[in-house]
Amino acid sequence: MKILVAVKRVVDYNVKVRVKADGSGVDLANVKMAMNPFCEIAVEEAVRLKEKGIASEVVVVSIGSSAAQEQLRTALALGADRAVLVESNDELGPLAVAKLLKAVVDKEQPQLVILGKQAIDSDNNQTGQMLAALCGFAQGTFASRVEVAGDQLNVTREIDGGLQTVALKLPAIVTTDLRLNEPRYASLPNIMKAKKKPLDVVTPDALGVSTASTVKVLKVEAPAARSAGIKVGSVAELVEKLKNEAKVI
Amino acid sequence: MDFKLTEEQQMLQDTVARLVRDSYGFEQREHFYRSEPGFSREFWQQLGELGLCGMPFSEAHGGFGGSGVDNMLIMTELGRGLCLEPYLQSQIHAGGLLQQLGSVEQLERLLPVLISGELQLAVALEERQSHYQLLDVQTRAERVDGGWELSGRKVVVIGGHSAGMLLVSARTRGEARDEQGISLFLVDPQAEGLSRKVYPTIDGPKACDLFLERVLVRDTDLLGEPGQALAALRYQQGRAIAAQCAEAIGSMQEACQLTLDYLKTRQQFGKPIGKFQALQHRMVDMRTELELATSMAILAACVADQADSLERSRRLAAAKFIVTRAARFIAEQAIQLHGGIGMTWEYNLAHHAKRLVMLSHQLGDDDHHLSAYAELLHSA
Repeated sequence: MKILVAVKRVVDYNVKVRVKADGSGVDLANVKMAMNPFCEIAVEEAVRLKEKGIASEVVVVSIGSSAAQEQLRTALALGADRAVLVESNDELGPLAVAKLLKAVVDKEQPQLVILGKQAIDSDNNQTGQMLAALCGFAQGTFASRVEVAGDQLNVTREIDGGLQTVALKLPAIVTTDLRLNEPRYASLPNIMKAKKKPLDVVTPDALGVSTASTVKVLKVEAPAARSAGIKVGSVAELVEKLKNEAKVI
Repeated sequence: MDFKLTEEQQMLQDTVARLVRDSYGFEQREHFYRSEPGFSREFWQQLGELGLCGMPFSEAHGGFGGSGVDNMLIMTELGRGLCLEPYLQSQIHAGGLLQQLGSVEQLERLLPVLISGELQLAVALEERQSHYQLLDVQTRAERVDGGWELSGRKVVVIGGHSAGMLLVSARTRGEARDEQGISLFLVDPQAEGLSRKVYPTIDGPKACDLFLERVLVRDTDLLGEPGQALAALRYQQGRAIAAQCAEAIGSMQEACQLTLDYLKTRQQFGKPIGKFQALQHRMVDMRTELELATSMAILAACVADQADSLERSRRLAAAKFIVTRAARFIAEQAIQLHGGIGMTWEYNLAHHAKRLVMLSHQLGDDDHHLSAYAELLHSA
């Protein structure tokens, strides 16, 4: 089985992001970038399937500027076999990304595509679902457990109030939730091996995909600062405030 | 100059940073500190499994041929996490001495287990009177049939309590402070006649004093030619200094970050204390010292693996002096800006402050390196 994993370059999750003064977006100057944490989980799951002998090849793909090669190399160091970068310096929305991934899926013909459920920069949670629709594949989103049984894939999904297990026919799309696995550390021998693994660069034009955006960002602003709390003197006062001020009971 | 890390170096830094972040929370460190070895054997094993213990060794010996910059990246992250494992003493300092002086037989015997993390080494060079002078060795090695008998006392051997093998300097001829006549021996800590007094240092890691009374060491455990070890001791101390500077940078970065966060959080007179200009100036002074020290740590990392020369020694002495000065300044200012909480055991900053002050007193303090720099400047 060939597995395709999509990874995205985002601001490192430890960085406290700042909104630009003109409200046009987040300030990315001199900010540490890293692989989206959900994508790391996707890579880990694919590598584990390969280690179990279920997958024969793990291909990672990223879409973005040439700097995204860093994240592809990281994925290669974590155990992927080869990488594809669709190089584009444009701001791409989920639909454009899904169309580009569809083109890569057509070319690579994987039996399974694993993506993070969302990227921590834009929190859209759309690409996996759109890709499934474009490809006509079955989808198992928010996966916390993935099992391959013959030509079928059992995916346990994290849904409101519990878990749901669905059986998907291959080829299929899976998007990962945080509890699916714990990604490994890239070991030094694997970091060294990663630089010898193939990394191809293609352009959206070469894939014949138009990436014109249908969405325009009007304004980005930081969340309102949390206001200071108060101390109440008694339970009765708390109940009174919840009832009359907060109006929640 | 291009200061950009290569992709591999970036990944190395990310791996160590994540490992430290995941394994070295404040409570976890406290637990490791109070455990019997005084550090985490599990973390050490993980360093071995990820190949990090093999970074400073040449590829010919099964390592990864890491440069001074690679060592710097690892040490900076270990410093940021206040890690208690003796990576510097074992892999960089002792490992460097072994690699430089060891025979083919010794390297084949010890390097594979050192690289895998199964063996931890410690360096016993200092004596009570030596005061950072590597040539001031009073421990003596007398020739006996089939080997040498070592007698004397070594002090503040960091990681010596848990080491599987100790590298001990001893005088095979000459008087104390003679340049010639210093030899380096591999000593089994369980050897007859050797006793250890173990104690915690004020900044966390455990150390011990070694008492040697006619400890028999076989000829096969002499490193290099008898009486010729001083040049290697000096060279490898230089590599250790570069690594120590990097460790201090990680710790200083964290101390500055903790202080900045505190200035933005702590309210006084109805606003965060970071709004007061006098405190802003202090914070800026800390960052200025940190930037200067970082430049010197990078310089030290770049010259650490160069061939021995007066210029290399001079740059390393300069780096240690500047980093030591910055470390003490940042530790003191951070405590001043925090007030009382900066001194409490339950708060991370207090431990960074202690570490930064103690780093200044290991491998030579600022006075020592300033006078070394002046002498080297004169002789250049």
